[in-house]
Amino acid sequence: MKAKRYLVAGTAAALAIGLSACGGSTGNSSSGGASGAPADDSQCSQTTVFCVGLVTDTGKVDDKSFNQSAHEGAKKAAAASNGYYKYIETQDAKDYAANIKQFTDKHYDVVITVGFMMTDATAAAAAANSTTKFIGVDQAFDKTKVTVKNVTGLLFPEDQAGYGAGYLAGLMTKTNKLGQVLGLEIPPVQKYAKGFEAGAKAANPAVTVSTVYHPAGDNAFNDPTWGAAEAKKALDQGADFVFGAGGNTGNGALQEVAKASGAGDTVFCIGVDTDQWDTVPAAQKCLITSATKLISAGVTDLVEKSKDNDFGGLVSMGKAGLAPYHAFDAKVPDTVKSKVSDIVKQMEAGTLKTGVTL
Amino acid sequence: MPHPSARPEREPAEPVTPPAPPDSPAPGGPGDGPGGLLAAIFRYQSVVVILVALLGAMAIGAALIRYQGVNPWYAYETIFKQALFTSDGLTRTLAKTTPLILTGLAVVLPLRVGLFNIGGQGQFLLGAIAAAWAAYQTSALGVLAIVVGVVVGILFGAMVGSIAAILKTWRGVHEVITTIMLNNIAAGIVWWLVTGPFQAPNAGGIPQTHEIGEAARIPTVAGIPLGFGVAVVLALVCAWMLKRTTLGFRFDTVGKNRHAAGYAGIPINRVILLAMVFAGGLAGLAGALEVHGVMHHFEPAIAGTLGFDGITIALLARSNPLWTIPAGFLVGILRTGAAGLQFATGIAPEIVDLLLAITLLLVSIPVLGRWIFRSRAHKVSAASTSWGS
Repeated sequence: MKAKRYLVAGTAAALAIGLSACGGSTGNSSSGGASGAPADDSQCSQTTVFCVGLVTDTGKVDDKSFNQSAHEGAKKAAAASNGYYKYIETQDAKDYAANIKQFTDKHYDVVITVGFMMTDATAAAAAANSTTKFIGVDQAFDKTKVTVKNVTGLLFPEDQAGYGAGYLAGLMTKTNKLGQVLGLEIPPVQKYAKGFEAGAKAANPAVTVSTVYHPAGDNAFNDPTWGAAEAKKALDQGADFVFGAGGNTGNGALQEVAKASGAGDTVFCIGVDTDQWDTVPAAQKCLITSATKLISAGVTDLVEKSKDNDFGGLVSMGKAGLAPYHAFDAKVPDTVKSKVSDIVKQMEAGTLKTGVTL
Repeated sequence: MPHPSARPEREPAEPVTPPAPPDSPAPGGPGDGPGGLLAAIFRYQSVVVILVALLGAMAIGAALIRYQGVNPWYAYETIFKQALFTSDGLTRTLAKTTPLILTGLAVVLPLRVGLFNIGGQGQFLLGAIAAAWAAYQTSALGVLAIVVGVVVGILFGAMVGSIAAILKTWRGVHEVITTIMLNNIAAGIVWWLVTGPFQAPNAGGIPQTHEIGEAARIPTVAGIPLGFGVAVVLALVCAWMLKRTTLGFRFDTVGKNRHAAGYAGIPINRVILLAMVFAGGLAGLAGALEVHGVMHHFEPAIAGTLGFDGITIALLARSNPLWTIPAGFLVGILRTGAAGLQFATGIAPEIVDLLLAITLLLVSIPVLGRWIFRSRAHKVSAASTSWGS
């Protein structure tokens, strides 16, 4: 009788394995999108075939933030030039180099690496692979260490976006109190925050801004509970504008403000990085605008540029600005709108400096 | 019919079974006992359970891969090819295996004493940052900076481990609580250090420490990271210590019955302290080796989930130090192959964590062993020994 039981188990196991084996492709699922684009990356070494690769930092391509924006920009650029596009989502910070190598081994034309933690890995890969172009999103390369020409860092004037948002808040605040709920205290976030404060003070010298950075390292951009608690604190202290900048942490702050009484009438929130009207619908009740950096557009431009020749230099400045007001278009007075758009134009033209230094 | 379950309970995980007690039928012998092959299967049933669990997990994984439109054979083949047969695949796999073995041992040793060390993460982090700092400060010493960094890493890891042990022995605080809380404390301290006093000024605001000197980097010889050798030797030493020394005997005795051990004159508190100090030291060493062998500086991402992966390894290894080597190697293969899998097929790399989780689930619950072996199943559950003690 015992033997029978083993027989049953064995059969079941064999069946499961057998079932899983039948059918199936060899499994290339990514694609460039446009018709006529190459079906796989076997021809990438040829000059006529344009291949674009992307390596995320330890995040996913659907994170509604950084990695997603870069991913969309890269995908669009590849489709526009009838190229092939593929990405790898990094699981372990020690794999950055190996993941980049997957693409260079296949002679990809452009490799995009996302996030400042990959700065060193990107520089090393660029030095080792002269025929591949590298775009490092949010990466500031050290001129003294990086001498190759096939790499550029895509940086953004976050301080300008923050300044514009702060200026708007400074003009509109009734309580003269603003709050900022921020992720990790790293340069891009600091630039947003300092720009916000400078803009608010420029619009309204009487304003006070309370600023909190997430204290811990491992989940600073993914702690919506903390973000919500800090947003609540800011509201309790009388702030009527809350700037949430820090991935999911900031999203938590936005959603908390959206739940507060008077959301959209007396208290407002401002999102960050992308137009969060689309990415965080739960915050729409209070979301007056977002301080954005145009990552997708920046990536697409640079991929286009890489086809011709070397990049202009180690730094490529992208654009930053304010997202549309959406439903708040009617609630923002016309005088405020025109003042804010003047300021944004002046910053783009370079006639107005935010005065933010790190 | 006399059967094995009538024996006194043995060590939780003992794939290399000692000679069968006299009251069980002689393996392969005549009579109603099972035949040669079956007897071997019964003796090594913890291995069989793990293998069956692995196969089961891979079968479930295969269905999920198939569901995403990819041939499972091709997917599994890609994982193993990437991890073992590409130019630097094996080296990277071994490099990934090294900390897994060590953090695995850091869970195994306390488990043998009946303690559940969930603090591997914190011990690893503090060991790593201390090693990175010490090695940078002593980079003038050249190769000797390796020794300094590794020793300092071990000491800091051991220190974190000992805190939980001291709280346990003096105040009776459960080690599960303290080690988890110490993980957060360690993460906080490490974050403060790496964004404050220890931050490299030339890193452009990135939270990381100075690069250690060229000479202080542990090299890879003939494709094998030297740290891997260290980890394997330590696994052997732990196995030898548990099996052949008085201290090992004390560990197991305390783990099986603390009261009996105390009655027999074994200094329980000292055994608990030693187990946690060893565990913390091993996790700290894992951190130090990652600094010296892989990263060459400290950044918070260095730990990943390695401290918690140690629990996976220890349970897969059924708290046998020797088995942490294949368990770590398996996880190393899966993790190394995962990125290549996404490159080749577009499947999200999390699939390998899913495989591991299913395997672990099947291994940890005693159901599978009981289902396969019925009355002959060993009473084993490595995890259950740690609770309620």
